[in-house]
Amino acid sequence: MRSTLPFDPRHSRAPELTFVGRLGHAAIDRYQRGLALLATLGAAVLAVRTPGVAAGRVVRRVLLLQIFYTGFQAVTLIGTISVLLGATIVIQTELMVPSADAALIGKVLIAVVLRELAPLITAIVVAGRSGTAIATELGNMKVSSEILALTSLGIDPPRFIVMPRLLASIASVLVLMVYFAAISLGGTAAMGLAIANIGLGSLQNGLSGAVTVYDLGLFFVKGVGLGTIVGWLSCHYGLQVKSSPTEVPQMASKAVVMSLLGCVAFNTLATALFYWTVGPPLR
Amino acid sequence: MQPGLVLENASFRYGTIWVLLETNLRVSPGETLVLTGENGVGKSTLLYLLGGLLPATTGRVLLDGEAPNVTRPSELVRKGIRRGFVFQHGGLFANLTALDNVLLALRYHADVLGLDEAGIAQRGREVLRDLRVSQHDFHTLPAYLSVGVRQRVGLARALAIDPNFVFLDDPDQGLDESTRELVLELLVKLRDEKRITLVLTTTDPEVVARLGVRALELNQGRLTSMQRMSRA
Repeated sequence: MRSTLPFDPRHSRAPELTFVGRLGHAAIDRYQRGLALLATLGAAVLAVRTPGVAAGRVVRRVLLLQIFYTGFQAVTLIGTISVLLGATIVIQTELMVPSADAALIGKVLIAVVLRELAPLITAIVVAGRSGTAIATELGNMKVSSEILALTSLGIDPPRFIVMPRLLASIASVLVLMVYFAAISLGGTAAMGLAIANIGLGSLQNGLSGAVTVYDLGLFFVKGVGLGTIVGWLSCHYGLQVKSSPTEVPQMASKAVVMSLLGCVAFNTLATALFYWTVGPPLR
Repeated sequence: MQPGLVLENASFRYGTIWVLLETNLRVSPGETLVLTGENGVGKSTLLYLLGGLLPATTGRVLLDGEAPNVTRPSELVRKGIRRGFVFQHGGLFANLTALDNVLLALRYHADVLGLDEAGIAQRGREVLRDLRVSQHDFHTLPAYLSVGVRQRVGLARALAIDPNFVFLDDPDQGLDESTRELVLELLVKLRDEKRITLVLTTTDPEVVARLGVRALELNQGRLTSMQRMSRA
């Protein structure tokens, strides 16, 4: 049978690469990494269609646990950050525009909290808390052959490992964003009452006058997008660990850095698209 | 369809290091094959390749005529091909107790295996007891188990799903005398079990001699036949 190997490793070495060859090699390497990144997400999405009723039950249990770790356990932290940020926004608005009324504060809050801070801060907190945890857990599972063990037992890693973490990340970011916005507005109301003498009723009117249906659409799109980025990249980089424990913290750090970069980039892109498409009615 | 394990012109490499060079191999159903070789030669990698846990760089691996899919291994189970794998360093799920390690695959494939929750629990406990894991260790996390018990839990997990293929990576390594004897007895039992195709790696000549089956030595990417040694 004719050999299919690129060279005979017993008798010859791989040829030395020229500068152009090395450049090409680096380009192929980047391309393959990009494909691997897409493959992680693609396999998790396709895993939804994998048959198996009993497997579905096991995966649902994993999903609930992940929602508990990613969403429920972050409630206190998100609550504290949101109430403090809401109060800060009122202070800054009052400093810049001393005559600010409820309508202006409502507009500022919708623009800053609902459209920008709630999605981005929530995603950053989830990436920092759960992204590191996911990447570290999966990295350790790779090192201790647990992923291979799953495969050997006929348990699909994309379905059992990636899909529940991805869905939990999306659900947690969405719910925590709503929670962030609600608590932050509460903080604003308290501070508004204290320093600007704006009552709860007038602030409510100001907010309801400022919020549009587009804001809710953007809020949802950002929640799903940012949750996907955090869950996807954390799982992907965790699974990139090969066999050394020293790779685990490196990949965990990479997962968080790439998640943060991805979240900021996505948030900017979504905001820019939002203003280009529905900008005029919002001014 | 060719039953058993078939390696068709398969090669495997890690980066620039070739572990296996274009090899053809057939292990018949019910046969036991021992892989030997010096430390670091790639025996574990070859075992992962044979078990379909790693994709071949060139060529292919077939288990009962089916090519394993690394990302969707459940397809094999649905086709009636079940693998049991024991890893050199345990490979137990660190966040699950010994019993849950054994039960996970049973729960995941409960509909395919035709088991209800009571049947799953019964099967898990049975197989752990058969391997002399004490009741007290059932609910203990792997980190708190001794090396010997971890190895027995790993064996129990591999055997619980009633596999047609069993792959063992250096199963007697680092065990005390009594656990080692238990593992060797189990290997002999598995060798005689005609439903199971067994492949194991070892560096221990006594294991090769005791089993008295076909043994292949891996050296510089090539498999060479060793003389069949008589059963002890």
